Amino acid sequence: MNKKLRAALALFMCAAMSTSVGCSFFGDKGDDSSSSSSGSAGPELTYAQKADFIDMEDYKVYLSFDLDAIKAAIGTSVSTEVAAAVDAALAEGKAAITAATDVPTAKAAYEAAAAKMQNAVPAADGTFNFSGLSAAEKTKILGQLEAYGIRNGMLGMTLFENGGYVLVNERIQLATENYISGYGFGILPEGAITADLAAETNAAWKRYYHSVDVADPGTVNYLDSQGSDVGDFYGYIGASYYTTFMNSTKDGYEWVPELAVADPVPVDGLDANGQATKWRFEIRSGLKYDTNSTIADRAAFKNRAVAAEDFITPFKLLLNQANDLYRGNELANQTGAAAIKGAKEYYEATKTSAKGISDADFSGVGIKVYVDEEDGKTYFEYELGAPTTAYYSRYYISSSLYMPVPADFINLVGVDNYLNFSEDKSTSPVDNSLSLGAYTLERWDSGAQVVYKKNPNYVYANTKYSIPGVHINILTAAAEDKEATIKEFLAGKVDSCGIPDTYLEEYANDPRAKTTTGDSCFKLNMNALDQETWISLFGENGSYSQTAEEDYWEVEPALSNAHFRMGLSYALDRKSFAQLKGSVASANYFSSDYMSDPENGIAYNATQQHKDAVSYLTEGTDGYGFNLELARDYFRMALDELEADGLLEPGTTEDPTVIDIEIVWMYPTHQEGYHNHVIKYWMDAFNDASVTGGKYKLQFTFDVGSDYMYAYNKMLYGQYDIGFGSISGNPLDPLNFLGVNSTNASISGDFTLNWAVDTNTLTEALVYNGYRWSYDALYQSSQQLTIVDDGCEVAAYELTKVESVENADESLTVTIVLENNPAVTELSLDALVVFGGGYSVDYDEWELDESMYTVTYDADADTLTMVVTLPKTELAKVPVDENQGIDVYFSYTLNGNVASGLYVTAYVALSE
Amino acid sequence: MGKYVVKRVLLALMTAFIVLSLTFILIKLLPPEKSVGTAVTRQTYYDNQVSLGYMTSSRFQLPDLQLVDFVTAKNGTVTYYYEVPVMEQYFKWISNILFHWDWGHSQFIEPNVKATVIIGERLLTSMKINIISVVVAVPIGIALGIWAALKKNTMTDHVISTTVMILISLPSFVIIAFLMLLLCYNNPILPTQWPNPTAPTSEKALGYILPVFSLSLGSICGYCRFVRAELCEVMESDYLLLARTKGLTRKQAILRHAMKNAMVPIFPSVLAEFIGIMGGSMILENLYGITGIGSLFVKSMTAKDYNILFVDLAIFTTLGLLAGVLLDLSYGFIDPRIRMGAKK
Repeated sequence: MNKKLRAALALFMCAAMSTSVGCSFFGDKGDDSSSSSSGSAGPELTYAQKADFIDMEDYKVYLSFDLDAIKAAIGTSVSTEVAAAVDAALAEGKAAITAATDVPTAKAAYEAAAAKMQNAVPAADGTFNFSGLSAAEKTKILGQLEAYGIRNGMLGMTLFENGGYVLVNERIQLATENYISGYGFGILPEGAITADLAAETNAAWKRYYHSVDVADPGTVNYLDSQGSDVGDFYGYIGASYYTTFMNSTKDGYEWVPELAVADPVPVDGLDANGQATKWRFEIRSGLKYDTNSTIADRAAFKNRAVAAEDFITPFKLLLNQANDLYRGNELANQTGAAAIKGAKEYYEATKTSAKGISDADFSGVGIKVYVDEEDGKTYFEYELGAPTTAYYSRYYISSSLYMPVPADFINLVGVDNYLNFSEDKSTSPVDNSLSLGAYTLERWDSGAQVVYKKNPNYVYANTKYSIPGVHINILTAAAEDKEATIKEFLAGKVDSCGIPDTYLEEYANDPRAKTTTGDSCFKLNMNALDQETWISLFGENGSYSQTAEEDYWEVEPALSNAHFRMGLSYALDRKSFAQLKGSVASANYFSSDYMSDPENGIAYNATQQHKDAVSYLTEGTDGYGFNLELARDYFRMALDELEADGLLEPGTTEDPTVIDIEIVWMYPTHQEGYHNHVIKYWMDAFNDASVTGGKYKLQFTFDVGSDYMYAYNKMLYGQYDIGFGSISGNPLDPLNFLGVNSTNASISGDFTLNWAVDTNTLTEALVYNGYRWSYDALYQSSQQLTIVDDGCEVAAYELTKVESVENADESLTVTIVLENNPAVTELSLDALVVFGGGYSVDYDEWELDESMYTVTYDADADTLTMVVTLPKTELAKVPVDENQGIDVYFSYTLNGNVASGLYVTAYVALSE
Repeated sequence: MGKYVVKRVLLALMTAFIVLSLTFILIKLLPPEKSVGTAVTRQTYYDNQVSLGYMTSSRFQLPDLQLVDFVTAKNGTVTYYYEVPVMEQYFKWISNILFHWDWGHSQFIEPNVKATVIIGERLLTSMKINIISVVVAVPIGIALGIWAALKKNTMTDHVISTTVMILISLPSFVIIAFLMLLLCYNNPILPTQWPNPTAPTSEKALGYILPVFSLSLGSICGYCRFVRAELCEVMESDYLLLARTKGLTRKQAILRHAMKNAMVPIFPSVLAEFIGIMGGSMILENLYGITGIGSLFVKSMTAKDYNILFVDLAIFTTLGLLAGVLLDLSYGFIDPRIRMGAKK
């Protein structure tokens, strides 16, 4: 261990410990590691017992340090008695570690103490719902979950944050020199252009903001697009009920009404959690559409006033399933507060409607526009799928997808042509769109350029967006050539561009250069599972997904060792890497734009909770988690522990044991760009004689597929050691995003890239509010009403019995039993639906008549029993197929909250 | 002759049909793209694939179909997404073409627009550049070839032949990349990218220089080498010697006899070059931002916009095969000694 670090640890530990136990071994031992306990008298130790790599005394310091980390994780929210018990266990553990003479004993002492400390904290029990807590309180939960994730290797290893250096033309007057996360420099809304662009040959466009895009999206139909590229083009003409502008201090942004007049208010008041499902806001009057189309019937819509019913049209358009709009499907599939009440039902009901604006009954959808008789004002009312705060209700409803549009405009251009080119290209998006946003489409030359002109009718046209237009040049070369954009910039044809790493040295200090933060952290995701846990999750009977035995992934044992993973993390010189690549150095899980308190502009990475959580990685380092000596010490510890656990056997200097780790990357170019740098950091740290004594060798294999999905698919199904990738969530709700780390598919949405522990077990201290939680239990409680038993999340219901008996009259009696958790106060049946087919014959289903079944709810036994008697005639209607059964649609009540729309399937053979 | 032509054309169309069918099936046999994202994102993507007819969804597992992915919703319900069997997709596609002449619409490149309309628009741009480059390349290439042949084994011939050897090995996209750096970025003389439709005429004209030069350079070298070789061979033939001994001047012998015969194999190659005009140049167009058919082909491949890709392929396969027929027939017209399909 290096002296500085050791001294720091010694001080840290002495300060942290309430007794003098454990401090004694610092003072009297020199730097000579040859006097380790392995050389002391007594029975000769095996290689598995000896501290062959780490100095035994150092090892004890590190283990004690880990115990302190657990103590810190338990925090101060526990009761005095619990705190005392934790302190006692800590002191006892440190004493036992000090007394240990070999690696297994010290490790066992650590594990026993850790378990004792954690078990001292009572496990959470009951039903919990923290979704209505304040942002500050939710940040505490977020911090605890993040810290737990870091300690358990669940969050991967951040390599860098995107962002970096950009060049901005001198003619652009920025509103701020400091990049605002999630907002930018505010070039268009608050900036200005002070001179003509000489390279622009069209006189009318010389003052337009000139940018490039790598591809022409061919449409601005954001209603039917999958990617963000179309959204970017649509964004110029789109308007929302609310938008964001730079704040007065120019260091953040604030929400302001755009098509609305003021903030939304709850229609029926707030509940005890300060939330509501039904909200409304006043619609801004005097709104007018804009278009630059020269076709007479389209041009007629220029300056046309926005009618109240135009606010409903986009919802009718999106939710008409016959229109087959991608974002409509997405809206219908939303759940919780992001959903609009009745949207799913309307979407299903319009399956067979005609295209366009459906005449299906819209009254069940939670969207209304009306004039309030009391004040005579026109209001837009929206009812969400679950209660939420005012802030998030505004956030969920503020989408430019819902920008008003007249129904007769849709009828004129046709749903298929709306925001698109017509199929024969006789009309373009310029003719087939209307704008309420800051700009209006002016010209579209396929594959060449897209031009927008300032919309004089825009709400803030007089106070914001002084730049008269936007010119986007399509630069296809930029897809292959990372220098293409900067070449265009230097040729004076573009107003801003990123600086690629090849130009960094020359332009990083250019007066036109600005730095930006990113919106995504790129990570080295880890498969830190041991083989047993891997099989339980992904094996033939895996709880997450099922894999044939011959396709089992052989996990790398070293990665399941926490100290080995920490060694890898400490060995990554993120700062040098970022300088080399022109990106932003970061060891954070979230990128800079994630806001834990968006209403008050507080970035999560700036909070104490995050700083505490990430200190586990960054303390004693360069601030970004790099410390070569620390990395080597952690590797030394890992080797001794892996030997002690029988997972590694030492080789010889001639024939060292090889630890071969495969890294799967997204693109072949990542080999040169990232892989070679990363493995050099790791191999330089590990493959040093002072670490391994020549007995081990760390090596890496580069793996890449035909496209980036190859890497993601390997990670999603645990078929990898380390995988490079990044996923992003809603930057205004980082807590919600942590769900992707769950090993429960219904929480993660099948989107877990890192695998380390079963997240619904009490493996290590995750303490909140004085109680101990599993990751899933605390996460779920932060999102919705959750039943927690012994610290773990438990299901509200379970299908416990499906039994069928054939009767003498050839009818069939099926008994279905659904058992609910005792915390559930009521379980009620909504419908029984018989289904069959879909495999060998066409699928069919229908709801059973109530006369065909009886339902009994036994409150004592917590069971809902359904006895269904299907007469021969009914059975004959079921398509003969191996897929047959009965869907049970039901609802349950938990703590006064009704969960509905649920179903379980009882598979049973009904006809032959 | 007429029967022969009809037979060859029909055979070409049959081959095109087989090539296209195999291409469709092989491309569709590629693993379907999986979506990445939250449950809602993925479910939306897969539902879209279902509506496009590429996938089918089910709430239960269907053992005989190829599972693409499954999505677990927040309430725990699972939806399985399966690939629609390739042959089912094929028959739907082919029947739409045969019975409705419907080649489908673009899905990603220009959503809602007919694939044939997009191809037609782009084809025009590629053709313009390529026709100009052929018009430039043919006379220059032939002239240089004649010059080199007439000056055979002199310094002029050596310079021309060596230059041709060097330049012919450089692909057009390497040339344009070099020239862009030289004449657009380092010395801004020419437009850095293919000028937009709103650019002034002068800029548009300048925009042709780089692609035309890059595309024609290879052709110039090819013609030059070809003409030189043919002419040298003819000029050493006995009949040309006879022509000279009859009393014709060298100029008369070359113009009346040598050139005429040397051009017999040259003309079909010029014809083939014109067929290639349609093809555009994938990388060159991408680099210079030309909205032609070559860059569209690459884009449709990467975007997996299969309807465009298949129209693209159909055009090139059919044209290529018909060009072969035309080429064969042209020999008969150029050299009457060649008779095809004639009865003995």
